[in-house]
Amino acid sequence: MPFDNMNDERRLTSCFQTVFPDLPETSIPSATQALVPAWDSIAAITLVNVIEEEFQIQMDFDLLGELDSFQRILKYLEQQKVS
Amino acid sequence: MTLTEALKIRQQNSKDAPLFLVKLACGFTPLHLQTFLAARIQQALPERNIDVTPGVYGDLAGCLESVREADSVAIALEWSDLDQRLGYRGAGSWTPRALPDVIVEARRMLDRIAGAIERITVPLALSLPTLPLPPLFHTPGGQAGEPELALGRSVAEFAERIAQFPGVRIVSAARLEENSPAATRFDLKSDLATGLPYTLSHADAVASLLARLLAPAAPKKGLITDLDDTLWNGIVGESGPEGVSWDLASHHQMHGLYQKLLAALSEEGTLVAVASKNDAAVVAKVFERDDLLLSSQQVFPMEVHWSAKSGSVERILRTWNIGADSVVFVDDSPMELAEVAAAHPGIECIRFPTNDDREGYRMLRRLRDLFGKQRLSAEDSLRLESIRRGAQFRQAATSDTSPESFLEQAQAKVTFNFGAAGDPRVLELVNKTNQFNLNGIRYTESDWQRALAAPDAFVAAISYEDKFGPLGKIAVIQGRTESGRLHISTWVMSCRAFSRRIEFQCLKALFDRYGAREMVFDFAPTPKNGPTHEFLACLLENTPFSPVSFSSQLFAERCPRLYHQVETISEVER
Repeated sequence: MPFDNMNDERRLTSCFQTVFPDLPETSIPSATQALVPAWDSIAAITLVNVIEEEFQIQMDFDLLGELDSFQRILKYLEQQKVS
Repeated sequence: MTLTEALKIRQQNSKDAPLFLVKLACGFTPLHLQTFLAARIQQALPERNIDVTPGVYGDLAGCLESVREADSVAIALEWSDLDQRLGYRGAGSWTPRALPDVIVEARRMLDRIAGAIERITVPLALSLPTLPLPPLFHTPGGQAGEPELALGRSVAEFAERIAQFPGVRIVSAARLEENSPAATRFDLKSDLATGLPYTLSHADAVASLLARLLAPAAPKKGLITDLDDTLWNGIVGESGPEGVSWDLASHHQMHGLYQKLLAALSEEGTLVAVASKNDAAVVAKVFERDDLLLSSQQVFPMEVHWSAKSGSVERILRTWNIGADSVVFVDDSPMELAEVAAAHPGIECIRFPTNDDREGYRMLRRLRDLFGKQRLSAEDSLRLESIRRGAQFRQAATSDTSPESFLEQAQAKVTFNFGAAGDPRVLELVNKTNQFNLNGIRYTESDWQRALAAPDAFVAAISYEDKFGPLGKIAVIQGRTESGRLHISTWVMSCRAFSRRIEFQCLKALFDRYGAREMVFDFAPTPKNGPTHEFLACLLENTPFSPVSFSSQLFAERCPRLYHQVETISEVER
């Protein structure tokens, strides 16, 4: 599926809402693993799988440690589009 | 179901609803299998708060040995649970020298798991190893060597053994293969990184089948079939009784297969009837043919005439005394299907795919899924015959000059079995009876066991027979005694047993047995339990409002004369 900044930010927000239903939508753009208590190792894997489903991509589990914020994941998705 | 869909379903889980606790036993990280299983069970039991709790990683047998308080247990068994060397996350040897020990260890573990399963009393669903064995055998991949066959045999023997334990259900490997082909199941990357060896699609496929076994849909009760170009090929009115066919030689084997399935369903307790626009005398000639694979004894009633099929279905439903939503109607004509569907909302209409064997195969499997039962009981083989006798009973009752003398001469015998708590037919009757049902409450097996384990609880299974023949177990009454009072929580009676005053005999037997002064009923009106409402209203001479109660004196005054011979089987030690 082609990448589109506005649209993809919205889609990534939807992924976060699915995995972290208690996180207010306004807090999602600034969400980080350190700020969201529910973002544990299991939630991190679930988030990756939900993003894979939404964006029809394969993500590397080795990147789990680096993809620790909404903005970093968004940037990663943009890079995937470019490459 | 995608993971996103499963997570969204889980967000709708009501924490205020009664808890339904499922223990998930698997040796790997349950991760998404847990999510999918919870979502699938939630779809099947939307009125419950579903909680799926996994055991300790790497200790499937220990998890089973420590099961307490669960409503049901789901097991996803994999090769690595039998021996770590059969997985990818350990360092154990794959050399030929290690193989004999792997097989011995796997058998020992299967014995331990079987022992743990035998001690579990709640419903349990198990999937046998679903992933490919690692490449540890000396044979090339396309060849099965002795060690691999020995492992397969050990698992098959284990499955055959545990399938005999009450409450154990095993996932069909064949159905799983259709839903999740072998080559799409294993995700080594996920296994190594997270401990979950399943692809998302496979996790959902396993969860879906486990959930279906733990929270099965109620099977349909009756099938109404057309005849021409459905039960057989051809139009009997044009070709004559010898001109219609259903065999391989005539290239119409699909109709023969359909007949065989209907005969099997009938023997298993499914009601089978015919609705056909035809000449009844000509149809009767076909049913006299020796090569017909469905006997006329396996079908009742037969509505064969030229009137609308919706009317035929109406009369069949009345004879069976069940709702349209419990019935499947099979016909080759889209027009007839539409006419019946419009007149009977809820009925499941299936088009017989004439001259299309591939679609025919799908239809046969769909029918098996709709009517499949987890177990057969003695009552199943009695059902159709008892309905036939019931029709005779009603006909005799209406033609007799005095209904009272008819009941007196019916030679009726009612048996109360107070030791039937463990009989699966009892819960089955409770969960599938709609019309004479005190409150419509459906029980899971664990709920039912809990209700019966309460202090001073009792349950009676009631069987009936008269000069027209046995009806088998037709009623269940369950409750508890409390200081001179009987509190009735569950009371159901099959519609086949109406008009025989059995409901009065049930209450009389309980008053007599427990010497109670009063009986209190957890009555609740439902869209379908009108007969229960009428009975209570008749007894109270007023509209029943929950909780309904009346004294033994009032009951004695209003109970009509009963002619049944009564036998009581007392409670067995539990």
